[in-house]
Amino acid sequence: MHHAYIDKFAYQDSPVHRLDSRVKFIVTLVFTAAVVSLPRTSPSILTCYAIGPFMMLVLGRIPLRFAFKHILLVSPFILVLAVTCPLYDRTPVAVAFGTFLWQTSLGWMRCFTILGKFIVTMLALIALVSTTRFSDLLTGLQKLGLPKLLIIQLGFLYRYIFILIDRAHHILRARAGRKLANLGFAAELKIAAAMLGSLLIRSIDSAEHVNIAMQARGFEGKWRSISRLKIRRCDLLFTLTAVSFLLGLHFFVKPILL
Amino acid sequence: MSKVIEIENFSYEYPDGTAALSNISLSVEHGQRLTLIGPNGAGKSTLLLAMAGFVKGTGKVLVDGLQINRQNLRKIRTLLGCCLENPDDQLFMPTLFDDVAFGPLNMGLDAEQVKNRVSEALKTVGLAEMADKAPHHLSAGQRRVAAIATILSMAPKIITLDEPDGSLDPRNRKNLIKLLSGLPQTLIIATCDMNFAAAIADRAVLLDKGGVIADGDAIKIMSDSRLMTEHGLEVPGQFKNIARRSTSN
Repeated sequence: MHHAYIDKFAYQDSPVHRLDSRVKFIVTLVFTAAVVSLPRTSPSILTCYAIGPFMMLVLGRIPLRFAFKHILLVSPFILVLAVTCPLYDRTPVAVAFGTFLWQTSLGWMRCFTILGKFIVTMLALIALVSTTRFSDLLTGLQKLGLPKLLIIQLGFLYRYIFILIDRAHHILRARAGRKLANLGFAAELKIAAAMLGSLLIRSIDSAEHVNIAMQARGFEGKWRSISRLKIRRCDLLFTLTAVSFLLGLHFFVKPILL
Repeated sequence: MSKVIEIENFSYEYPDGTAALSNISLSVEHGQRLTLIGPNGAGKSTLLLAMAGFVKGTGKVLVDGLQINRQNLRKIRTLLGCCLENPDDQLFMPTLFDDVAFGPLNMGLDAEQVKNRVSEALKTVGLAEMADKAPHHLSAGQRRVAAIATILSMAPKIITLDEPDGSLDPRNRKNLIKLLSGLPQTLIIATCDMNFAAAIADRAVLLDKGGVIADGDAIKIMSDSRLMTEHGLEVPGQFKNIARRSTSN
């Protein structure tokens, strides 16, 4: 399998990687809520908020190119939403940046704010998953009280999604190898349905085998695990820094820029 | 020697009515290295599943003297480690550590004992440094031995392996042979690769069309070129000289 895994840098070692997954998750959650709740007409303040995830990525030695590549991958949905803003809201507004002053519409301001919020929150999310092993994240979420069933399902999803993608690639390759002409929409649809059916049957087959493998190792419906997470002094220091950063932005920087 | 597996007149049909196993009688002694050989569809995998209690047919199956039934199933699962054909089915947890710890945790061992079992099992298969890796980050050869580690951590008396050599390169196959040859447990290996079977087994059971065709010394059965060819198999390289000699005699 040669997929570009979202967590491909999670196995590195850095001060950010060594932080407890619960602390990183809660900080990312609070940070995201703070960014999302910013006013829709203030794109400039977002650059200050971006310093947080940017620092996490730099200290965690995550290439920025990797982060922006993943942002681009999921951007089409947000792009559609953002670019429609100038079309329906043309209220004129004056924008000042230092000595520069120009006039634009509220729609364009909203467009930039949506894009800015999307980029900043995505940077925070990528910083979280690129510096935290998925297994640690799941253990952390379990410790934070998320339902065990959800954790198990997320664990299986992470384990088997790559295998499923791989199988889909193999089926597509097998079709491409024998597809010598365009057969028309109806025929293509029929082929696609057959391919999906084959993928579904193989998935059911795999699920049955996994069930056998679990039972063979004594699984009787009760999920047991060993937690290896521990809050240390560096986690408290990180929390303190993150809280100071968010409070500083909220009480000191925001009033100046808004 | 004590018998760890005893099967008497076991038969099983697939839900569509096709006979998968017919009247199988077989016993395996403690410490034996038995290989189940036979062409595709002979019933090798089904027989392994029957030994682990996943296939319910007619007849008697005893594991270390215990009849397979609901009451004994938990005990049987700790006595017999069942390793499936595809390592991706066997490795279902987010990390290798969690996967190898899954069995011991279900056995009710405490955290310290589980950690010891995991590190011991991973050391045996040579993956001690990989404990925190996700299974999809391992190579095919590593996944194969990792699947065996998930069984070893439960310290079973008997290990069944279904096509453990599938899609392995010669180096990884050689490493796997070395690993399996060094295990103290009773091994029951289903395989279509005669060279692999010949390198490990001291006893061979030839299955075809759901029935036992031959059962005995591995060299004697696997060097019988007529028998092997008749059932779509081949004489392994290391037994070809013996086969030639017996043909000329």
